[in-house]
Amino acid sequence: MQRLTVDRAICAGHGLCYGSAPELVDSDEQGDPVIVTEPVPADLAGTARRVVAMCPERALALVEPSPA
Amino acid sequence: MTTTPSDLAPDLVSDFDIYDPTVTMPVDRMQERTAELAERGPLVWSTAHGGHWLVTSYAQVHAILRDPHTFSSHPNNLVDAGQGKFLPIELDPPEHTSYRQALQPLFNPSRMKALEPRIREIAVELITSFQADGRVEFVGRFAHELPTRVFLALMGWPLRDAVLFTEATEVALNGRPGDDPEQAVASRTAAAQEMFGYFLRVIAERRAASTTGRAGGDDITDAILAAQVADTDGEQRPLTDDELARMFFLLLIAGLHTTQGSLAWMMLHLSQNTAERDKIVADPGAVPAAVEEILRYEAAVAMGRRATVDAVIGDVTVRAGDQLLLLLCAANRDGDEFDQPQALDVGRSPNRHLTFGSGPHRCIGSHLARLMLRIAAEEIHGRIPDYRLDPDDPPVVLPSQVRGFARLGLRFTPVGAA
Repeated sequence: MQRLTVDRAICAGHGLCYGSAPELVDSDEQGDPVIVTEPVPADLAGTARRVVAMCPERALALVEPSPA
Repeated sequence: MTTTPSDLAPDLVSDFDIYDPTVTMPVDRMQERTAELAERGPLVWSTAHGGHWLVTSYAQVHAILRDPHTFSSHPNNLVDAGQGKFLPIELDPPEHTSYRQALQPLFNPSRMKALEPRIREIAVELITSFQADGRVEFVGRFAHELPTRVFLALMGWPLRDAVLFTEATEVALNGRPGDDPEQAVASRTAAAQEMFGYFLRVIAERRAASTTGRAGGDDITDAILAAQVADTDGEQRPLTDDELARMFFLLLIAGLHTTQGSLAWMMLHLSQNTAERDKIVADPGAVPAAVEEILRYEAAVAMGRRATVDAVIGDVTVRAGDQLLLLLCAANRDGDEFDQPQALDVGRSPNRHLTFGSGPHRCIGSHLARLMLRIAAEEIHGRIPDYRLDPDDPPVVLPSQVRGFARLGLRFTPVGAA
């Protein structure tokens, strides 16, 4: 199962991700995103891809699990 | 050595001046003018205001906004209102960081979301006040009023003070109508001083109230008064009166004028793209994406940056000390980032517009702005969905680094008062 990740170093807190997909991403006190669902459930895979594409900073990514 | 026009090919030099009233009056040609600049190249030199680079490409604007070490945020403004630095937008990291962290929680998404019922109440009250008339001057009756009332409620300042802000903010941005450039500087300075006087009175009253133990406590004014920032030596300290006043001034200019503009542009462009409007009338669920498209289609802000070192951007060398002006309205219509950028498409996805900026200074009020725009769109399209421009009252758009509306006359089918 894929995981959604956020690179805090380049995130600027636009909030489009948690505005659009609260089932995957929430926000903290500073307005920065927090991934709430790990790994991404199969029925939300399309939503996750859309969220990655909408980030103005390209701070979100879908990553494959590392091989055990 | 900073850049001079003689260093450049003639086609890279322009006299474009973002403060020139003829750019937006009698008809707003900002998009047309900046698209012409974009055709010449991603960076074009303007001879106005002592000379500066005009940046129009999405990729370059985005890169510059995210590189505060090479491109300082001071000065942001090509013209000066004698106000000193706007805080915190004219600070660079690391100094900027603690101001940002102090302010950001006050405008975070969950706090803003809690305002939704109050914002909706104000929006409905405003629409109800004119919906039976069949016509409205939308700026005065709605686009200005909604963000102003929300801002005053957030700050905990009296509504009666709005008149003072409205005029002084306008003059601080644009000077007075008919001013020559020298008079405009004097007008701006006087307006800025008037605002500072007001803020210092508010601050003094709040400080007095807190020492006598009758502080209200939960509005943003008190929260900012209680905020701590890190000094250069890392010590935490409260903000000084002067810093507070400059921060309030920024919140006011950044919060009111911009939202007012986006609300007016929503009406202007949807009235001229009725097939797109029909989609949100038919389905309120389409509103959030439509709000993003309205935001992309017309960005009010053109922020300044100054190169701290020589830097190569594409084919152009920017020299240390050169001023830059980032034209967000042009970046948002860059065909390398957006398909069919000149088309208003309320379902556009992805829509990575730069209207709220990018990088460390990204708009702190974006969550509030989105909320106001969404609620306004829902309530307006549920009540007066067939609005059109009033041929007898054409739109009046003002230029400057925060472009905005002075008037927008609309007509619509009258609706019985609720």
